[in-house]
Amino acid sequence: MSGPIVALKGVTKTYQQGAIEVHALRGLDLEVQPGEFTALSGPSGSGKSTALNLIGGLDTPTAGGVHVDGHDLGALSRKALSDLRRDRIGFVFQAYNLVPVLTAAENAEMVLALQGVPEKERRQRVVALLDEVGLGGMADRRPDELSGGQQQRVAIARAIASEPAVVLADEPTANVDSATAEMLLDLMQKLNAERGVTFLFSTHDPRVMARAGRIVHLVDGRVERDERRDG
Amino acid sequence: MKFGTIAAMAWRNIWRNRRRTLVTLASMVFGTFLAILMTGMGDATYGKMIDMAARMGNGHVTVQHPMQVQAPAPKRYISGVGALAKQLRADPQVVAALPRISGQMMVAAAGESRGAMVIGIDPTAENEDTLSALGSISEGKLFAADDKRGIVLGADLARHLGVKLGRKVVYTLTDRHGEVFSGLGRVRGLVKTGTSSVDGGLCLLPIDVLRRALGYGPDDATLVAVLAADQRHTHGIAARLRHLENPTRSVLTWHQTMAELAGFIDMKLSGAAFMEGLLMLLIAAGIFNALFVSVMERLPEFGILSAIGWGRGQLFALVMLESLWMALVGLGLSAVVTAWPYWKLSTDGFDLSAKMGEGAEVANMMMDSQFYVRIHPEHLAFIVVAVVIATLTSGLLPAYKAGTVNPVDAIKLV
Repeated sequence: MSGPIVALKGVTKTYQQGAIEVHALRGLDLEVQPGEFTALSGPSGSGKSTALNLIGGLDTPTAGGVHVDGHDLGALSRKALSDLRRDRIGFVFQAYNLVPVLTAAENAEMVLALQGVPEKERRQRVVALLDEVGLGGMADRRPDELSGGQQQRVAIARAIASEPAVVLADEPTANVDSATAEMLLDLMQKLNAERGVTFLFSTHDPRVMARAGRIVHLVDGRVERDERRDG
Repeated sequence: MKFGTIAAMAWRNIWRNRRRTLVTLASMVFGTFLAILMTGMGDATYGKMIDMAARMGNGHVTVQHPMQVQAPAPKRYISGVGALAKQLRADPQVVAALPRISGQMMVAAAGESRGAMVIGIDPTAENEDTLSALGSISEGKLFAADDKRGIVLGADLARHLGVKLGRKVVYTLTDRHGEVFSGLGRVRGLVKTGTSSVDGGLCLLPIDVLRRALGYGPDDATLVAVLAADQRHTHGIAARLRHLENPTRSVLTWHQTMAELAGFIDMKLSGAAFMEGLLMLLIAAGIFNALFVSVMERLPEFGILSAIGWGRGQLFALVMLESLWMALVGLGLSAVVTAWPYWKLSTDGFDLSAKMGEGAEVANMMMDSQFYVRIHPEHLAFIVVAVVIATLTSGLLPAYKAGTVNPVDAIKLV
């Protein structure tokens, strides 16, 4: 499709914390084009995670519109939103990404199973994908038999298994050491370059920002600076 | 996602915290074990009591004159009992249908007289399986079919009268016209059951002798006692009989003819049902606790599953399947744990004679001091279903909690 994969127009989000109103986003405008490798950066409380939650259809804005892959999320039912997340959005979280009782392959193929892809086909796809993310031969390992970095690789494999329009990664390097963080970034950059997977991160990790093709700096729920880099 | 995939995941989930699951299963097994043994003991004991009561004279079902309960009198008899008994025996759930005459009379010996309960029976048709007193003849034997003078007395009644085997007694009764009739009997046997009302007041006579004494015809009797193959069929037999019977006869079940016993059993069953309800509540509380804690611990995980596309129904089903697995595993283990004690108690029973002597009199009946455990299949099925329902019910709130998880809030817990 042409046009942005993600579009936020005048999005505000206000939380009530006891008697206090917290303005997490104050009229955020943002567009992400297909194939971008974009990082949302900013200090704690700047609205990075809130923006990702709204783009992922996990939360609803107080005002404004969120469009993902051409869908106006505000117009979708709970079921349709759930289906959109399953089919068009990949998620990578900081931790607890994987189901501990499932193997790496079972975790990675979960979205495909939800989509009803036949078992044989999804296993073939996932084994190839695990190979691609550097986990060849580890398909039958449970999460507690994998390192933190390997677990994040499985989460990335799960996020891209269904070839989503965009992968939303919330602080994906927050819980791993530097070497592992570099390897994860290598992997995501490779997937972005070779497969054209669109990544949108929330991060305040300088290593992620150093690799991003575009950095959107948020401060107090607004875009302070939108920085694009070549190559 | 296929149901089988969610079921497989649920199976693995219940073993995440093995110790907690095993503790929960242990409480479930213990509760089910107790429920089966308690119910089985009740089924065996009360079933035996009901059968004994039926064999004391009136059967599981009694066909008699409609006014016989309110105002018993010799004039209130029924006719055509031969054909009726034959018709009743055709019912596959009926093992015996026996015309009998029951009433009151005076028995006298040299210097003593006593009131007695008389039962007129056909000695060729009756045995200890149809009339329990015949299994308790401690001295002598039952009169023969052609014995016109034979009489069997309760052992205590004979002692009070001062008579022994072979001695003569005179019995006096009122016939159907209200006239007094006296007859001579020779004591052929003495009955000792341990029940005071039977040993001190029972008198058996040949039914034909009583018919003549009361002025009845050869096809008349005061009742037809119907014995069921299984006491649980009592109401079914009575219902079929009421449908067939005419208004000149009434059909009563043992609940009506032995109201005291029925009241005793109902009271005991109510107590047992209350205890079983408590056991089910304990099982449900154990499962609820385990599942609820497990779900609360996994809220971030449910949040992530919801984020990647699991529907509310799938998350709800996952937890409900976990509770179903708990129920199935718990029942399987219960079967393993209960099998040997149940087999032992159903074959050998357990002896309470140290506590209650050779037996105890309950509702005019001797209760054996040897207790057995034999559960009716429908009661076992009820317990199984109750355990499954208790388990599934206790899974509802945790499953709802998982199904309605808010991914944003849940992921914040990471």
